[in-house]
Amino acid sequence: MATDSHAHALPPGHHPGDHVPHVLPLTVYFGVFFMLVIFTVLTVAVSYVDLGSANLFIALLIAACKATMVGAIFMHLAFDKKFNAIIFALSVVFLAIFISITMFDTNYRNLSGRTEGDKPADVVAPFSGTRQDAEIKAQWAPQAPPMTPQHGTLPVPARNPSINQPPPPAGIEGPAR
Amino acid sequence: MSEANHPAPASELSPKFHVAHHFDSADTQFDANKMGLWLFLVTEILLFGGLFCFFAVFRSWYFDAFVAAHNDLDKVMGGANTIVLIVSSLTMALAVRAAQTNKKKLTIGMLVLTLCFATIFLIIKYFEWHHKFEMGYLPGKFFGHPWFDLKETSQATVGAAKEQGIFFTAYFIMTGIHGIHVVVGMSLITWMLIRTAKGQFSSRYYSPLENVGLYWHLVDIVWIFLFPLLYLIG
Repeated sequence: MATDSHAHALPPGHHPGDHVPHVLPLTVYFGVFFMLVIFTVLTVAVSYVDLGSANLFIALLIAACKATMVGAIFMHLAFDKKFNAIIFALSVVFLAIFISITMFDTNYRNLSGRTEGDKPADVVAPFSGTRQDAEIKAQWAPQAPPMTPQHGTLPVPARNPSINQPPPPAGIEGPAR
Repeated sequence: MSEANHPAPASELSPKFHVAHHFDSADTQFDANKMGLWLFLVTEILLFGGLFCFFAVFRSWYFDAFVAAHNDLDKVMGGANTIVLIVSSLTMALAVRAAQTNKKKLTIGMLVLTLCFATIFLIIKYFEWHHKFEMGYLPGKFFGHPWFDLKETSQATVGAAKEQGIFFTAYFIMTGIHGIHVVVGMSLITWMLIRTAKGQFSSRYYSPLENVGLYWHLVDIVWIFLFPLLYLIG
């Protein structure tokens, strides 16, 4: 751990009070590397099996295992102060909340019934229930879409003398003079 | 394992290192350095997390188009890139360990190896992207058209072509930003290489090297998630 400097004899070359590094054995590094390669092969192999929506879950699970191994051993989270691991875990938790709430939103839209805008109350007799559906529909019917000009058939704007307009080009009404 | 070089004499380990005056001990400085770096790594996680959220939303909207488009990605190249990055992560971790045990030549060798594997990753990525450009798998509204033949891009704005174009938007942006992180990581590793060659790192002081190592492992973790989501699941 980081506070080893008082417990053991000084490593060669160290001054008193120096930080003593926490060194892992080589076998640990190569073991983790081997497991990462195995998990990579596993995730590619599983992707060829069609399990429907479980495919995504399994792929994320395997990726999470690999990330945990890299984080705990290569990044020393398992041997550091616990606060660093808490920082990392909290960011992942935040991401999970962020993405899951976004997916809840987008997946369950347009499922509620008609809103007030679709069926407005009668301001004169709000509870009479006498307004016909047809009247309401007519009021809220969508307007006809504006005419979209076809290529080469731009509508000629009406001449409005109250607006300053540039004079038409010569050739339509003869030369300017 | 045999040692190519002996531990340095007492006066020569990281001669320029001293604890900054606002820390009460070397251990405090070491812990503060690590915590600060993890806070930075959290910002990187949030950056890529936002991109993953974008991918998740559009995958739910256009599921069929995404599954169809992801078959155009080369799993072999993607899998090779994954292995390459995992190996580079191993060599990076071994470089930090070599600095922890005062093996300067091994540290330099491991850093050089990490750079080599990072370059291999970028080369494979280049071939992947080049193939996409040739086939016309371009991002967004340019999907479906070979390089520079963009006169009829409007055809790619409707229907399945638009949806597949969005998949490739996600693909290029996510692998592109990841690639930028790889390039930045390589330049940081080169800087650490120079500092190691100058003899600044030892078992007394190796924090900058460890920081760059942590950044590099995060780049690897991001790719560990990118690969299955983009290439295998679609």
